[in-house]
Amino acid sequence: MGAYRALYIHIPFCKQRCGYCDFTTEARAQDDPALDAYLDELLRAVRSASRNGELGSAESIYIGGGTPTHLGHKRLVNLVYTLSLSLNLHDDTEFTVEANPESLTAPLVRDLFALGVNRFSIGVQSFDDRELAALGRVHDAQQARAAVEIVRERCENISLDLMCGIPLQTPGSWEQSLATALATGVNHVSVYPLSIEEGTPLVGFAVDEDIQATMMEDAAAMLGAAGLERYEVASYARPGFACRHNTAYWTGLAYLGLGKGAHGMRMTAEGRERLVDGAVQELLTFPEAAAEDLMLGMRRAQGVSLEQVAAASTLLPNMQQAFEQALDRGLVRVSNGRYQPTDLGWLNGNELYSTIWDARS
Amino acid sequence: MTTADHIRNFSIIAHIDHGKSTLADRVLELTHTIADRDMVEQVLDSMDIERERGITIKSQAVRVMYDASDGQTYQFNLIDTPGHVDFTYEVSRSLAACEGAVLVVDSTQGVEAQTVANALMAMNANLEIIPLINKIDLPAADVERVRHEIEEGLAIPADEAILASGKTGQGIDELLEAVVARIPAPKGDADAPLSALIFDSYFDAYRGVVALIRVVDGAISAGMRIRFMATDVLAQVEEVGVRRPANEPMESLGVGEVGYLITGLKDPADVKVGDTVTLAKGGVTTPLPGYREVKPMVFTGIFPLDGDQYADLRDALDKLTLNDPALIYEPETSHALGFGFRVGFLGLLHMEVVKERLEREFSLDLLATAPSVEYHIYRTNGEMLTIHSPQDMPDAASIEHIEEPYLTATVLIPPDYVGAVMDLSVARRGTFETMQYLSTTTVEMKWSIPLSELIMDYFDQLKSRTKGYASLDYEFSDYKPSQLVKLDILLSGKAVDALSFIVHKDKAYATGNVLAQKLKAIIPRQLFEVPIQAAVGGRVLARTTVKARRKDVLAKCYGGDISRKRKLLEKQKAGKKRMKNIGNVEVPQEAFMAILKVDE
Repeated sequence: MGAYRALYIHIPFCKQRCGYCDFTTEARAQDDPALDAYLDELLRAVRSASRNGELGSAESIYIGGGTPTHLGHKRLVNLVYTLSLSLNLHDDTEFTVEANPESLTAPLVRDLFALGVNRFSIGVQSFDDRELAALGRVHDAQQARAAVEIVRERCENISLDLMCGIPLQTPGSWEQSLATALATGVNHVSVYPLSIEEGTPLVGFAVDEDIQATMMEDAAAMLGAAGLERYEVASYARPGFACRHNTAYWTGLAYLGLGKGAHGMRMTAEGRERLVDGAVQELLTFPEAAAEDLMLGMRRAQGVSLEQVAAASTLLPNMQQAFEQALDRGLVRVSNGRYQPTDLGWLNGNELYSTIWDARS
Repeated sequence: MTTADHIRNFSIIAHIDHGKSTLADRVLELTHTIADRDMVEQVLDSMDIERERGITIKSQAVRVMYDASDGQTYQFNLIDTPGHVDFTYEVSRSLAACEGAVLVVDSTQGVEAQTVANALMAMNANLEIIPLINKIDLPAADVERVRHEIEEGLAIPADEAILASGKTGQGIDELLEAVVARIPAPKGDADAPLSALIFDSYFDAYRGVVALIRVVDGAISAGMRIRFMATDVLAQVEEVGVRRPANEPMESLGVGEVGYLITGLKDPADVKVGDTVTLAKGGVTTPLPGYREVKPMVFTGIFPLDGDQYADLRDALDKLTLNDPALIYEPETSHALGFGFRVGFLGLLHMEVVKERLEREFSLDLLATAPSVEYHIYRTNGEMLTIHSPQDMPDAASIEHIEEPYLTATVLIPPDYVGAVMDLSVARRGTFETMQYLSTTTVEMKWSIPLSELIMDYFDQLKSRTKGYASLDYEFSDYKPSQLVKLDILLSGKAVDALSFIVHKDKAYATGNVLAQKLKAIIPRQLFEVPIQAAVGGRVLARTTVKARRKDVLAKCYGGDISRKRKLLEKQKAGKKRMKNIGNVEVPQEAFMAILKVDE
């Protein structure tokens, strides 16, 4: 083992569950002993992975949730400290912590940064208070702006999450949120159209895909004009600020997941294994894994090279044709020797991804 | 062998769901024909679909021995008939094999359209009718009202009607005694040459065609050389016997007896319902009356969703026709749907049952196009063309006129709904013929109506507009000229043959509009805009557009999402598999039936 290039750590706690959320997380008070017990368990898992030599080659670390900052200063610093002892941190290592505005403090940012955290991903979602309330977020726009300010004092690698197509949102308020995000000077923005998951309080809200499409286009235009290039279907960054951890997911690099419900991926002699809580959930054969790589590759602006598709054709005899079909249908174009998604391919990504995935056999 | 005076041949007739099959079960039980342990609900309904739907599709004949209160033993031949208007001819032949009929009327529903139709058929066949008021154990039973309806509406004395419950068995003894006392024994000439009526047939994989027969004159026994008169086919009797309900071979069947006949013939087309069996040499010269060729009335295209199942579909149709000679089919090719068959049915129920059997018993995934009828196209060059599919409609310029089949539809309703039926039937190009009060609570209306209109959801509409009270019966009347045109549907500018249909000129515009809207709702948004047009002879009557789908993407996809998102894609894909690709447009199956729903 030891081949993991990326490490994900899951913190399944929040102050309150948001209306759209179906992630592995639960609302707990910060003084709940369950948080201490979870942290103890997590630290044991980190040390054990370290002993097994699984952490030494990680080039990106991502602590996500839930709300990692909801752990509180002491616990989160403790976790990052333990990690820093086990990891082979260097200047190029990307170390992200997800944060929510209500639980992000200057001392916390200071201490995390000192221990090696060099990227913060802030769950802002919107800069409109009514929209935030409708989503069940516990922070307001002012807190969000303040959170970015706090982080900017230490660290320039900041990402904001924004959602479009949410209740109460108008094209005008969406532009306003985008403009505010740009005004904060962040170098990375993720744009997610709201999707309604079963069993969440927002079931019953009718998502308007047409409006979402327009909003996604508006986002691409505004962020692009400000120098944040779209490098993945939902991700925009200034040059040099693309998220390396997420890129690992999309390029088939092995990743280790620690914590409740965390997913991992590794290659074995049989193929590509996906694990949850350390147990194998899925095994993709090599041809399937190759198809998945191409599918995930087409989520990215740079797409995949013609050579990569041609090379995959020994495993996947139908793949060449699938790409040609996507080309015919206007989902991809060829540019600089690469298949890359078109605007149609961005917005109708499922059509493109399933065309590729279907060619797995 | 029982002498003819101790034989009673009778049928049980009823409107659908009035409890006929359950009643037959009780008769078999009481006469100990079937051991209790072998008793399943509705013994005589042999197919799964018959049992599930509670309808009888094939006739059955069961012999039971009854020890009557007069101390003598009687041979009862109970002939169970199909209970649906699609099978009127089969019913008439089954009745011709009987001397009497038990007319079952549900005490909670009263006389309904098929009660009237079946009673009339029984009267026409000169049968002694024993009215039986069923389900009297139910709280909603209204015996006096039903008695009144039977007397008023059917002119059958009902003071001696038997009050019974198939469920509890009440009244069954009384029924059996009434059969002995009231139904006449068969009359026939034992010394005359053989003459026997075929009233149904089925196919046995080992024995070939098995005919159900009623001997009118003479006798039939194994080894005899016989002739089927209508088809002029000669054969040797391999076996005769009776059904109890399992086959039980007998040496011979004599005057008045009912049983089965096996000749080793393998082709069901040789052995036709209504035909007469006689001796190969020295037989009768005049067949028994009433035989006619059964003709399908309703036609639909049936296509396998997966083209690879074409051969399986053909084999399945082959097998079904063995037991169902009324079913006909011929290959049909559609640009949109590929290779399939145009299949002819006796009626809509027959169509549904066959499609269901094909899918269920043969594991086929099928797509059916909207039903059509047989049109007679008179061309300017003097020739007459018979078509079963809108696809076969020739160019309008070459048509002199078109005729289509008309029915006489009989609708029974409470008087409150006369207006509703008027509305519906006029909208369906019906011509009012007569109206009469069968009783203060039941009105009988007769309409002349094109079959093509009736098969378009007429019965469902009738039911819903009369809160379920209406009952319907119909029979073919004749072909009449109509101003008909072929309405084409174009998707993305290309006509889709499987979506065309034939419609009255005056309704083309309205129907085209509604259908275009229906299709717009049914066809999912695609990557590109899909214009829908309805056109007659190149002239566009209606147009609408399925807008292009602007967004379909699962934007968030991190480590934990990858497997899940991929599975969602697979699920989306599975949904699309149920659709048909026409050109580059994905069309769901229900689009091909949308024309049936234009009234909604």
